[in-house]
This record gives sequence, C-alpha cells and structure tokens, in this order.
Amino acid sequence: MSAGLLSLTVLVLAVAGYILGRRRAVSVAGGDARKLHSLPSYHGQSVFLFTAVPAFILMIFWLLAQPVYIENRVTALIPNIEADDAAARELAMADVRRVASGLDLAIAQGALQQADLDTLQADATDLRGKLAGVGVALGADVSQYTFDAAREYRALKSSLGIGMAVAVLAVAAAGFAFAWSRITVAFRARNVSESFVIAMLIGASLVAVLTTFGIVFSLVFETWHFFELYPARDFFFSTTWSPKFGGGSSLGILPLLWGTLYVSVIALLVAVPIGLLSAIYLSEYASRRFRTFVKPLIEILAGIPTIVYGLFALITVGPLLRDWFAQPMGLGNSSSSVMTAGIVMGIMVIPFVSSLSDDIINAVPQSMRDGSLGLGATPSETIRKVVLPAALPGVVGAILLAASRAIGETMIVVMGAGAAARLSMNPFEAMTTVTVKIVSQLTGDTEFGSPETLVAFALGLTLFIITLGLNVIALAIVRKYREQYE
Amino acid sequence: MTDISGGPAALPVPKSRRGSLLTQDALTKRRNAAEARFKAYGAVAITLSMLALVWLLISIISVGAPAFRQTFLTMPIELPEDKLDKSGTRDPAVMAKVTTVGYAAVIQAALTKAIKEKGISTDGMTPKDIAGIVSLEAPAQLRNHVLANPDLVGQTIDFEILANGRVDGFFKGRVTMETARLDSNIKPEQLVLAERLVDAGIMAQRFNWGFITAPDASDQRPEAAGLGVAIIGSFYMMIVVLVLSLPIGVAASIYLEEFAPKNRLTDLIEVNIANLAAVPSIVFGILGLAVFINFAGLPQSAPIVGGLVLTLMTLPRIIIPARAALKSVPPSIRDAALGVGASRLQSVFHHVLPLAAPGILTGMIIGLAQALGETAPLLLIGMVAFVRDYPSAPMQGFFDPASALPVQVFNWTVRGDPGFVERASGAIIVLLIFLLIMNAVAIILRRRFERRW
Amino acid sequence: MNDMRIAERVVDSMESKITARGVQVFYGQNHALKDVDVDILDKTVTAFIGPSGCGKSTFLRCLNRMNDTIDGCVVKGSIKIDSEDIYDPKVDPVQLRAKVGMVFQKPNPFPKSIYDNVAYGPKIHGLTRNKAELDEVVETSLRRAALWNEAKDRLKSPGTGLSGGQQQRLCIARAIATSPEVLLMDEPCSALDPIATAQIEELIDELRSQFSVVIVTHSMQQAARVSQRTAFFHLGYLVEFGETGQIFTNPKDPRTESYITGRIG
Repeated sequence: MSAGLLSLTVLVLAVAGYILGRRRAVSVAGGDARKLHSLPSYHGQSVFLFTAVPAFILMIFWLLAQPVYIENRVTALIPNIEADDAAARELAMADVRRVASGLDLAIAQGALQQADLDTLQADATDLRGKLAGVGVALGADVSQYTFDAAREYRALKSSLGIGMAVAVLAVAAAGFAFAWSRITVAFRARNVSESFVIAMLIGASLVAVLTTFGIVFSLVFETWHFFELYPARDFFFSTTWSPKFGGGSSLGILPLLWGTLYVSVIALLVAVPIGLLSAIYLSEYASRRFRTFVKPLIEILAGIPTIVYGLFALITVGPLLRDWFAQPMGLGNSSSSVMTAGIVMGIMVIPFVSSLSDDIINAVPQSMRDGSLGLGATPSETIRKVVLPAALPGVVGAILLAASRAIGETMIVVMGAGAAARLSMNPFEAMTTVTVKIVSQLTGDTEFGSPETLVAFALGLTLFIITLGLNVIALAIVRKYREQYE
Repeated sequence: MTDISGGPAALPVPKSRRGSLLTQDALTKRRNAAEARFKAYGAVAITLSMLALVWLLISIISVGAPAFRQTFLTMPIELPEDKLDKSGTRDPAVMAKVTTVGYAAVIQAALTKAIKEKGISTDGMTPKDIAGIVSLEAPAQLRNHVLANPDLVGQTIDFEILANGRVDGFFKGRVTMETARLDSNIKPEQLVLAERLVDAGIMAQRFNWGFITAPDASDQRPEAAGLGVAIIGSFYMMIVVLVLSLPIGVAASIYLEEFAPKNRLTDLIEVNIANLAAVPSIVFGILGLAVFINFAGLPQSAPIVGGLVLTLMTLPRIIIPARAALKSVPPSIRDAALGVGASRLQSVFHHVLPLAAPGILTGMIIGLAQALGETAPLLLIGMVAFVRDYPSAPMQGFFDPASALPVQVFNWTVRGDPGFVERASGAIIVLLIFLLIMNAVAIILRRRFERRW
Repeated sequence: MNDMRIAERVVDSMESKITARGVQVFYGQNHALKDVDVDILDKTVTAFIGPSGCGKSTFLRCLNRMNDTIDGCVVKGSIKIDSEDIYDPKVDPVQLRAKVGMVFQKPNPFPKSIYDNVAYGPKIHGLTRNKAELDEVVETSLRRAALWNEAKDRLKSPGTGLSGGQQQRLCIARAIATSPEVLLMDEPCSALDPIATAQIEELIDELRSQFSVVIVTHSMQQAARVSQRTAFFHLGYLVEFGETGQIFTNPKDPRTESYITGRIG
C-alpha cells in the first residue's frame, strides 16, 4: 500500500469518524443537542482528530526511520565495506537502489517474474542486459552480493511497507474506537478537541525551531566529518584554495572570506549612502504624493529575484565595467569582478537600507524635529545634528542587517564575481566568495564523502555563524533603539 | 525695531541683533546653500536608485524580448514511405526505428526543392551548408509529428520547422556578417541565403509559443529551448509551498500571537523566527541536501524537495506578516466574543482569523513570490540538472525530476551559445510577469480589504 | 476661578511687535483659522485661551512659520514683525525662527548633553566666536531659565535625564540662548506637575523684561496669572482680545463669558 493511498484511507476513516461521532452524540442525547455539554460537531471533531493525527504522526516517523533501518540491514550484506567508510557505503547503497528499482521496473513491465527472482543468479543471467532493456542503464555488471542486497532491499521494503500500513491503520482504528467510546452527554468534547488543536498550533510553531536544529545539526555533523578528513588549522588559516579531484587539495577559507568581505564592502559603499540619503529625502523632504509614488518603486528593487541581478551583472554591468574602466586603466580584462558583483549587490541592498532607515528615522519623535526647527535650524541641520544622532543606533543596526544580507547573497556573486580564489586588492579582478564555493563544491562531480564536497558544509557553517551573529547584534540594537522611543 | 518706548517703563529695549528679515546675512546664505546641497544629495540618491531600476529592467527586457519571437521555415515536405516506413504498417513502434538522421535527409531534400522552385541561387554552397540553416532540432520536430500522425507518411505536408539559432540571431541583430566570418558555426553565405528565403516567403519570424511550452534543449540548439518543464516545476513547487506553509504558518502565528504564554519557550521560538528570516537562502539549500536528499532519501531535482526547502525558507517570512495582521485586529473583537461565552479558540477562529485573513493572504502571496524567484538553494538540491521530460501529473509528478524558472535562467547563462543569453533574459521576463501578477494580486487584496480600526 | 490672582496690569510697551491682519489658515479642506487680527505688544505676555481645536495653537505656529512643516497647510493674510511681513517670499524661515523662538507642549530636549542642548542654537546661528563665549551664553541662558543651580554640575549629562519640569526649563534655556525677540510657548506647562508649573510661570514673568512672550494655555487661571493681555479663540475665530483683567472680569462677548464661567469649553 503506497503512502498516498494509506493517507487517503486514514483521511476517509477520519471523515467517517466525524460524521458518525456527530450522529452518535445527537443520539446519546436523545435527539436533543441542548443536553450535550458540547455541540455535536465537537464530538465529531474529537473523533476525527483522534483518528487522523496519531496515525499520521506514526506514518511520518515510520517513513523517516524506514530508509535508515533498511540501509543498515542491507549494507550488512555487502562485504568489503568498512563500517565507518561513509562514502563507500553510500556508493554501494546507490548501486543497490538502482538495481532494486530496475528490478521493480522489470517486473512491472513483465520482463521478469517475481517468482523467477528468487531462483535468479546475478552472474548466470544477463541482469545488466535485462535491466537495460527496461531503460535502467548500469555502469558495470551486477555482482552477486549487490544482487542479493537488492533482493533483500526489495523484500524489506515491501514487508515494511505492509507493516506500516497495518500499524497506521491499527492506530487510526484504535483512536477512532477510543474517541467513539468517550462520547457521552457529559463528555467535554469541545475542551478536548480544543486542547488538541492548541497542541497542533504549538507543533506548528515548533517547526521554526526544528528548522534551526536541522540547519545546525546537518552543518555541524558534516563539518565534523570534514575536519576528520582535513585539518581544521589549514582550513581556517591557509591562504590557498585549490580543490583537486584526486585528493591533496588545499582548502583554505581565507581567500574566500576576503572575496566575500571585499564584495560586501563595495556593496555597502554603494548601498548605504544611496539608501540612507534616499530615506532621508523621502521622510524629510518629499511631498506625500512623491513619497507614495517613489517608495514602492524603490521597494520593487527588493522584490526582484537575485537571479535577475545576477544576469544583470553578467550581461550588462560586467562588460560595461570591463570596457570602460578595467581595460582603459589597465586593471584587467575580466568582466566578472569584485566591482561588478559589488555594485550590483549594492543596488540590490539599497531598498533594505532605505526602508529600514526610513522606519528608524520616522521613529524619531516629531517633537525633536519641531524643537530644532523652532530654534531656527534648517531641515538639513535638524537631520544631521538631531535626527541622525538620535537614530544612529537604529541605522547601524540596519546597516548590519544589510551587511549580513550581502555576505549571504549567492546568485549575484556566482554570476558576477568569478570563480578564482584570490587574495588581491584589485577590484577589477575576478575573485570568489564563500557562497560561490558552496555552490560549486556541492554541484560538482566529486563524491559526497570526499573533503572537496564536505568542505561546503564547513563553509556553510562559517557563513551561518557570521550572518547569525550580525543578525543577532543588529536585531538587538534595533529593538533597544525602538524601546527608547516607545 | 522698537526704539521709541511708549510707556514709562524704563528698561531699554534690546537692539535687534539681526538685520531685517527681508535680507539674508552671509551666514544664513551659507547655511541655505548647505541646505540646498544636502537636499540635492537626497534627490541624487533617489534618482540613482530609480535609474538603477530602469537600467536593470531595460537591459533585461531589451535582451530578452526577442526570445519570444523565433525564425521558422515553412515549406512543403514530402514524406516518402520508402524512407520513413519501409514496413508500410504505419505502426509507430516500427516507424520509430527510423532515427532523426533519416528525417534530416527528408528535410534537406524538401529544402533543396523549395529553393530550386523559388529560383534562389545557392552558388558555392554545399548541400550541408544549405541544410545548416535549419535547426538541429528540426528533424526531431518532424519525427515526433510523423510518429504522432503515422498516416501522413506518403503525403506532402506543409510543415513549419525551426531555423538555426545563428540564422535567427542574424534577424535579431545578434549575428552580423562580420561575426559570421569568424564563427565556425555559420557562414556569411548561409545568412545571404536566409535573407533570400525571407524574401521568398519561406522563412519568417513569428511569436514563439515553443519558448513557453517546450522543454529545454541541448547546448547546440538554443532555438529549440523552452520553459515548459521549468514552469511546471516551479508551479509544482509553489503548490507544495502553499499547501505546507499556509496551514503551518497560520497555525504558528495564531499560537504565538493569541495563546503563547510569556515564557522561555515562546521567546526561543520568536528569536528563532526572526533569525531564520535572515539566514542566507543557500543555507536552506544545504539543509535540504543534508536532510531531505541524503538522510530521508528523497530524489534529487524533484519539485517535492524544492518545495520543502522553499517552505522552510518561506515560513518565517509568512509568520511575521501574519502575526502583524492578527495583532492589528483590535482586542475589543476578542473581548466581545469571549463576552458572549465563546472559548478563546472559538473567538480566534470565528472572529479574529476572518478579519486578519486579507493581511495573512497578502503576506502569503508575497512570501510565495519570493520563493518563486529563489535560486540558490535549488542549485544545491540538484535542480540544475538537464531535464527534457515533462514531469507527470501530481502526485507522482512531485517526485519526478524537473527544473524551475530561476534555475533554468542560471542554467542557460552558463552555456556557451550566445543564443542562450537571450533565452535567459526572456525567461526572466516570464518570471517577472509572474511576480508582477502575484504582487498585483497582493496589492489589490490589501487595498480592497484593508481595514482601519 | 475663585483663587484667580490677576497679574499686574502694567504693560511696559505700547509698541506693537507683531501685527496680524486677516489671517486665515487652511489644513487642506479644513478652514482652521478665520480672519484673525491681533497686535502683540513688545515686552508683554500675551495669552491665547480657548477650548481645544479653537485655533490658538495654529495661530501661534503661524507666528514663526512652524506651520510650513505641515503638509497642505496654507496661510493667508499678513503677519508682520517689526513691520516686515514674515510670509514675504524673501523671508527665510530659518532667520525668522532665530528671532521668534518657540517652546513646545511636551518638553523635547535633544538626546544630547545639557550643554549641547543649550549650545545648539548659538552654534547653528553662529552667535559666538569661541568656546568661552559659548560657555557664557550657555550659562546666562541656564541662569535665566532658573536651571543653572541644578544643572551646573552635570552639564555633560544627557538632557533627557532631567525631570519633566527641569526638561521644560532646559527647553526654555535652549530657546532663549539664541537671543530671540519673541518667545512663543505652546501650552508649556500642560505636561508638568503644579510645582514645576509654578516655577515656569514665575520664569515667564521674568522673561517679560526682555522678550515679548506669547503663551497658549488651556488653563484660564494660568492666563490670568501670567499674562497682561489675553486673546480668546473659539471655533477658529478670534472672539475677543484685550487686557487680561478686562477679559476675565468684564468680557464683552457672551461667548467669552460662557467660556470663562465654564459653560463652554
């Protein structure tokens, strides 16, 4: 029974539970719903919830645990695998899965019979040819143990599938019966189903916490693996980055951090003056009509996907900077450069700076402005000497948020900054950033267990910690600032 | 100034330290100049950001707009039975044995014939050169058409086939006679021939539906590449995001806004959500790779994985506006419901939630729009793969390999043929149109249902 | 009204410092002030009284063009200070406001030190040539505002750390540091307790020796205590304007009488 069909069955059962529970509630009250503590629909609801929710929770956990269990059982069948060699295990399992799904397909198409399978010997029959016939291409002939493992894999999968169906349906039925038996005139069905609903609301809000745990766990776990294969000292302090296919790579993060920093600084140099001055103009000088017209236009910049900026860097800004600045000044002839990515990212960050600054400047009380204007200060003196100093902490927070945005940005640097890891001061040279390397190491052809791939997780963890730190500081500053004027 | 005092009061009137109000002293002039300068800086800053927006849009649109038009050749094509269906059974399974090479010959013959009929000179060109103005995709186009309609074999049909990408680029100004001389893929003579074919009415540009509906095509055939698979993939992912994040997001915001007691756990959740909203999107990609693909064993490139990753990324961005919407419903509404004996849950679900719904939906749509344009996390979960097959219908389709609009853009930009840059920009126009529609809906929703309390 | 002490009625000067004729103010569609004629004398405290929304604050804000900062506010008619029309296009509101200082309803010290608060005006207007002069201006202003003794040891601490009454006196010190000729006060005591109020009122009476003071107040007792002349506004009209004693003891207009006896307002 497939998971989809199973959930549908549980759902049907639960809906039936709602209808029947409702009906039973009315009948125990002798047809007079006023005698009940709770409305009949609450009795229905409680049957529905008790039927569906535990069953679905069981199903989700089963589905999560099943592959892990199967993998453990199956890899035990494969010889020549060290217990802690994750990469080899992964490779062998991939083979097994391919063969197994090939067998599934072959049986579905009638090229093989289920009964034949038990008598088949992998080397005796041309399994590779048979599977190729149904459209599953294998790289090499299937070894006996892989075939055995695949058979075991299929057997386990089908028996566990049946087990899951039985268990889930049993839980659903038990929940149904339990809730059903509780329907009486005095039963506080509303309170019960409401507590149930609130528990689900809490569960939903815990998803965010789970996500954070998931991020931290997966990053830390794989980074740990990476540091087992590659010395942490070299990672943090080496100034060369040159991953090699055959091993012996040097994976120093410093050139990547330098590139990240350089691009972000240029982005902020573009975005902070423009964003801050725009915010000041809009909140202090612009007429209301101008403001309602221009503010959304600036915010459009924030709504444009980063891939668009990336393409803009690639086809417009990069060539322009190369032809008009870099080449005439003899600073290089690469169209992807720190400058390209920095300027385009700066454009992207403008609305973050301006809308946050706008909020913060507007939070400075009007009485402060009146006080200054009433003394005969010009508006610009009022802004520079009273409003901005008062808003300074908030503005700093806004800039930190923008910086964290720039550091974590991926597509613009992937398409605009280049791929060469370099420690150079020349802004017209191609450099690379942490995010670019995460993408290239995880989308490359290296195998998963190698340090060249795992380094991406260490880079990701570094990125996560830096941006998280900036955010926490920025949010704390902004919050403190807001409280000051509340 | 008041130097004549009326009354006996003896205190001297202080002399005005300033001159007339009607003339400005030097300092005031300087200060006013500084004022004007400062104001000008602001105006310049706004102008710069507006110019950046306009520049961005113009550059993308001017490069991408031609992607919606494509050069086609329309001519009668004879489909000889002896070449395409030797068995004469008209059984597509048997006919499938004839590969595209066979169809290429058919097209070449038809093209040569059409050129001869119109009396166009092709002096100095080999038959291969002549055939070179047709897209490499054209034989496959014809083959699919014939296999779908086996009865056409033996007839002569009027068929529309794609022109080569360079020829198409020539009519769009991307390729010129000069660049053709340096290009091994096209010769100036072929472009001259193409011009003559246009004059003869065989070759023409028209709106290219294929760009929106067709699947991706390989490196050598930018003219055939389309967004079909990417649009379906993005659509599937948006369904996953909507189905998961709407209930979870609304439930979480209701709990946090209406029920959560002030305690450590609540604080933890709130700080978490605020920080998750600012975690770089690529980190969510790493999470998706580690948890959904490596740990849970979900397939790579599948919309379900993309959808899950985008859901986790979008959730905090939905919860924040949803909470604001719930907060904006005045407490008097809750009090009124509680006052007639409703439970807290009833007061929330019957009264508060319906009133906050427009705000929540607006936030949801904007969150979806952000998710639709997100690229980086999808790269990590394998959506960069070259996918030519349309994913099947749901539910199976959620697990089939697919592409996504923004990823398709990225995919095209890394290819060699300049024709793909045009495609990528065109794809961005499509993406921006979707975003525009979503944001317009959000704005209309907000305008129409916004309440001021 | 029982304990109302009517201030000394000596008007030191009969010179008209500010002459307003036919002043109309519109906030968009809203006609906030209708045809107001007022003469404000030099070295005199003039009080504007009236119920909320009667236009008294609006008129006050016209006198140093603070209304310019409000979108959609239009002022018609003529307001002359020393026979110069302040709405003349050649007039720079910055210079005008240096001449016509203002103290607001809520104490609004800048988030800077006490010293910097007071020194702000002299600095921007370039009134002093060196630090010593600036120190002197700050000290004089704080003394005049009766804050020197409380603040002299903490000049570097933030102005926001003072109590409400001290903050308001700081704002007065800040306003008089630019040596204005007219001081406008928009309900300066409404956010203060009775003791702080008494201190401010005393201060206002002293300030009269040097400035022409215009005070908007909600409290008729306050108007009676501090002012020499009183203007009563109602629904955007200037109903009656004259000697404070006459307004409170022998109002000519029935509306004024209703207001001061507590029937409207």
